[in-house]
Amino acid sequence: MKRLLLLALAAGTAAHAQRPTIDISGARVQAYPIALAPPSGAPEGADVMDVLAADFDRSGLFRLLDPRSFLADPAKEGSSASTIDFSKWTAVGAQALVKAAARVDGEVVKVEFRLFDVPHASELLRGEYSAPRAALRQIAHRFGDDVVRSFTQEPGVFQTRIAYVRETENGKQVVVADSDGYGPQQVTSASINLLPAWMPKGRALAFTSFRDGAGAHLFQVDLGSRAVQQLVKMGDFATGAVFSPDGIRFAFSASQAENTDIWLSPIEGGILRRLTDSRGIDISASWSPDGKRLAFVSDRAGSPQIYTMASDGSDVRRITFQGNYNQEPAWSPKGDLIAFSGRDEHRVFDLYVVNVQTGKVARLTQNEGTNEKPSWAPNGRQIVFSSTRSGKKQLWTILPDGSNARQVTNEPRGASDAAWGPLPRK
Amino acid sequence: MTEAQPQTVYRSLLGGDPRIGWLGPGLALAIALHVAVVAAAFFLPRLLDRPHPLRKPVIAHLVALGKPRDPRLMPRKETEPPAAASSSSAPATSGAPSSAKGPPRQLTRQEMMERALAGAARRTRDEKPDPERAGQETGSPGGTAASVEEGEKYFGEVEDRIHANYLVPSVVSERERLYLSATVVIYIGRDGSIVKHVMTKPSGNSFIDQALVLALQRTRLPAPPAELAKLVRDEGLEINFKP
Repeated sequence: MKRLLLLALAAGTAAHAQRPTIDISGARVQAYPIALAPPSGAPEGADVMDVLAADFDRSGLFRLLDPRSFLADPAKEGSSASTIDFSKWTAVGAQALVKAAARVDGEVVKVEFRLFDVPHASELLRGEYSAPRAALRQIAHRFGDDVVRSFTQEPGVFQTRIAYVRETENGKQVVVADSDGYGPQQVTSASINLLPAWMPKGRALAFTSFRDGAGAHLFQVDLGSRAVQQLVKMGDFATGAVFSPDGIRFAFSASQAENTDIWLSPIEGGILRRLTDSRGIDISASWSPDGKRLAFVSDRAGSPQIYTMASDGSDVRRITFQGNYNQEPAWSPKGDLIAFSGRDEHRVFDLYVVNVQTGKVARLTQNEGTNEKPSWAPNGRQIVFSSTRSGKKQLWTILPDGSNARQVTNEPRGASDAAWGPLPRK
Repeated sequence: MTEAQPQTVYRSLLGGDPRIGWLGPGLALAIALHVAVVAAAFFLPRLLDRPHPLRKPVIAHLVALGKPRDPRLMPRKETEPPAAASSSSAPATSGAPSSAKGPPRQLTRQEMMERALAGAARRTRDEKPDPERAGQETGSPGGTAASVEEGEKYFGEVEDRIHANYLVPSVVSERERLYLSATVVIYIGRDGSIVKHVMTKPSGNSFIDQALVLALQRTRLPAPPAELAKLVRDEGLEINFKP
């Protein structure tokens, strides 16, 4: 708590000459208490509401109130501001209230949602959302994103997707799923495929693969046609492609003459540019949100640590100094933090964030298995990562302060290498 | 030609030169230095020990029980600070059912420390005011405290209790959460109740303003000391809420 006390006893107007003044700063952030009233109408409404509840819970933005505590009778009170008894929702601690009414029209499910501001007894948002029955989860994701934007003026990420690597009998395969882990679709079928990265506009993925039998090199897969083509083949190996925010370049690591460095390539192909040239290993590039700098890992000082450099390779700065094995940097969309995994004195990898300006490191995970490969949600409010805390390695999400860990995948053989996709195109 | 007389060489600076007497230049220099040191010891403290124009309160933090961590190691996860005392942070008009009263439990070291500190503060506050109480040359005619520290005691407690309830909803965008501020004047009754609050400068964000009002409603303040009771009841206490 930053505290400053001022006794304003001297100057000022005559009326308030002696009024003391204090400053209070350092507010704590609290999840917003929200009530999701049981939906009326078709039973599909309950399924949609369950998805919405899971979205809100995972986001960390909202604290879902227990329906068993509700005092209002949803069937009797209706769904308009004039008929709702807001005092009953205030009494259970609700600051926001969601009402829904569902109906089915053929194979299409339609849900009318209303969002209310309980303290002000007013309606904030209303809309009808429809989708084929098979895709009714999207109804919840779309309304959820609208609620997030209504409150925060920032985009929600419930409609985004996550790419990751699935362990299979036939090696490691790249999978794309909704950000809550549902609807996984495998986009590669053979060999060992690693480190998926979203290409601009989310239409394709780049990944590292051993598929051509000549070491690991970079490939891309079109998510519509599933067509795979080579992206980069150079030296002993090329791996870990990451695309610049403006979508016109990508950085990757490649090994030539037993020296691994970061390289830069135009997305349309052309002349490659070597960004690092140290005698150590330089890998795992991650772009800053403004595209002016790159974070990367280098062991040039004796142990793997996080560094940043300008996008032309100049102005190299070491960012981490604690620990002796820091890797997998991921620059936050807001630009202030770099998440990474680091090995502690117990030789366990955990997640950390380092403030780019101050260099202060904060730990996000601890005493819960191995935690690796962080990737930020595009709005910067969540991080997806892989963890062994529930047994096999699975994907989890966590807030940037280390709270609200939620499991995303439940792959029988395990999941890793998550890459959170971009916001959906409008 | 007469033979030249041998010249006497005086090797020690402290040694007397019979041509200029016993007080040689070395001794004169030593005396001068001693005088300078004595003068400096007398005058320098007066020149340097000027009163500070503004004295900021010193905030003490209890250090957690544990061993110092090697700064070369990765940090441990930061833990939430202990919650504020329940008596001070409980809603003033709580409709929530209270939990059943259980058997008395043994106090933790932290609770014992807090009680001891609160007791010390209470004893100090309850002392009868001295009719010839001391003040400051730069103080106000309406001032009630002998020193800045004493005047801050009650307001510091007010600040702590309101801060315990100063919660900003997560749905407020970070951009607004980090930059918006608001000012509220509260009027405190003799029993410590907030009898009125006036938002003199809203933040511009209804969620933040609402959270501030909620924080004030949830806060129970201690009764003000007698010498401050009239001031905080009639003139109020201005609170600047900052990010």
